[in-house]
Amino acid sequence: MSNETSRKIEKHHWSYREGTIVTGLILLLGFGMQAASGGIVLRIAGFPWNLIAGLIFLFLLVFAFYRWKNHPVIKWLGGVKAALPAILGFTFLVLLMGFVKQDVEPKSALVRTLGLTHLVKTWPFMLINLYLMILLGITTLKRITPFNYKNAGFFLNHFGLFLVLLSTALGSSDIQRVTMNCYENKTEHNALNPSGKPVEMPVTIKLLNFNIDEFPPKVTIIDNKTGQIVLTKNKNPFELLDRNTLDIYGYHLEVEQFLESSGKVGDSYVALNEPGSAPSAKVNVTKDGSEISGWVYSGSYVNQPETLKLNENHSLVMLPAEPRKFSSELNIQTQSGENVTTTIEVNRPFHIDGWSIYQLSYNTEMGRWSNLSVLELVRDPWLPIVYFGIFLMMAGAVFLFITGNPKDGGTKHVA
Amino acid sequence: MNQLAAGLSFAGTAFLLVFMTILWLHIQRPPMRTLGETRLWYAIFMSGIGLGSYLRWKYKWLVSYSLGLAMVFLIINLQHPETYDKTLMPALQSPWFIPHVIVYIFAYAMLGASSLVALRNIFFAPSDKTIKGPIQMADNLVYLGFSFLTLGLLFGALWAKEAWGHYWTWDPKETWAFLTWMFYLVYIHYRFRHPSEHKRAMTILAVSFAILLVCWFGVNYLPSAQNSVHIYSE
Repeated sequence: MSNETSRKIEKHHWSYREGTIVTGLILLLGFGMQAASGGIVLRIAGFPWNLIAGLIFLFLLVFAFYRWKNHPVIKWLGGVKAALPAILGFTFLVLLMGFVKQDVEPKSALVRTLGLTHLVKTWPFMLINLYLMILLGITTLKRITPFNYKNAGFFLNHFGLFLVLLSTALGSSDIQRVTMNCYENKTEHNALNPSGKPVEMPVTIKLLNFNIDEFPPKVTIIDNKTGQIVLTKNKNPFELLDRNTLDIYGYHLEVEQFLESSGKVGDSYVALNEPGSAPSAKVNVTKDGSEISGWVYSGSYVNQPETLKLNENHSLVMLPAEPRKFSSELNIQTQSGENVTTTIEVNRPFHIDGWSIYQLSYNTEMGRWSNLSVLELVRDPWLPIVYFGIFLMMAGAVFLFITGNPKDGGTKHVA
Repeated sequence: MNQLAAGLSFAGTAFLLVFMTILWLHIQRPPMRTLGETRLWYAIFMSGIGLGSYLRWKYKWLVSYSLGLAMVFLIINLQHPETYDKTLMPALQSPWFIPHVIVYIFAYAMLGASSLVALRNIFFAPSDKTIKGPIQMADNLVYLGFSFLTLGLLFGALWAKEAWGHYWTWDPKETWAFLTWMFYLVYIHYRFRHPSEHKRAMTILAVSFAILLVCWFGVNYLPSAQNSVHIYSE
């Protein structure tokens, strides 16, 4: 760059106009590169290249800041006039994501070329992300030199977000997600990656027991002619069989006998606990003086359901029970020789050797008799940095709560 | 007269709280699963915020506005009574469920109150000078609301990691929640840099609330959002 141009840049008044132009150019360049690349799906290089790239980025950021701290462009990069257009540019991309369904096959050539159905993995998204990180980095550095405790909230919010953006972007390619199909009393050491290819895992898992805890079944009324559930406006079409008497669609039900797990013997049902057993109930139904009594059975993958015909128009039906909770008792062995027995369930994963093991699914057709438990194993080595950023942001949010807008003299109502 | 009005508003809010408690006990799960249930929480918080800001700042008009808005939500609920299903899918059975929803709805109520301030200023304040006091109140409400919004968003991320193995999946609800967050972020930055340009700030605030409403209700109807894990059951 000649001395004259650099002097021009220095003298130039950097404002919103420049912010808008730079953001606009980044978006244009991004979409241009995306179109030129033939709509490829971008991936950031994995370990160790992402780590090296991250460290170089941090070094350049800190170096550039301290080398040209008083340069108008650096000052501008650390201010609202660059930040606002950048935030709006990013918002524009997220708005596109809000309206265009993501992770599906693109419907038109234009959508495919611009990568609109997988925006997170496109050039414009990555470039605007990078630009935002530069702005956040410079802003943070500007605010902490010299450091003043008054800026603690500012630092937590901006640096926290910076860390979250940086670590999620760089770490995205190091995330491993696989599913493992475990059958009861069998040992499994292979899993399937997202494209369905088997991969050998560093842990072996034996499913000791799969267990489902169910809600009581629901009952409903169906139309005999159509077989459809009878719907009345603002009335619950289903009632949970968790009590002895209930009213549904004008019918009064009295439960004479309820069996949680049962099978048919002759004309009635008896308590049974073998694969395929399901809930049943003997009910007495009255409406307008007429009375009918009989069994309803929810049925299973082995047994037919049983409905109770109430009159010409309606029948009473028991629906399959919904799961309240499902869990797997696992024996896990690691390569380092660790041997653990534990139980996992939805919302309660188990963490071992950098892997988290989640309860994902089961054979839903077999329901509580399923001998299959589908597990998901996830490894995300960058997670601690992401969490650190999240916790900084949480602390920053508390600061926002306490201090309010500094230009108003802060929030005056909080002690 | 003022005392009578305040007393009645207080009684109404307390009544809603009692109703919510009975509902919670009756359906044997936190009443936070359906849109109607979130509207009920919103009505409670909205009235509470209106009353609280009256007690603190003596803005009478905000009480009537916020009670009016709370009433709109209650009327919607009366027009579309929901059936209170007692089952709760396993993914929602988490210690994060209650804090995530409560913090979010509280943030929505705070930001809703701030948008009432914005709308009043856009339509009834003739120039930038007259709205100095109210804009500070809008700021207070936005800062409080935004800090809760941030916490709700981050709680959601931590919960998602425990439940689904990833903290952020750009699920449509997440996308719109993030958009909402970004719009209020624009407001905060704009106010910070241009403390005296009130009208434009108020416009940003009104637009932000529109985005918030899309996130809360609109997502259920967006074609891009089918199969979202966040769709409320009706």
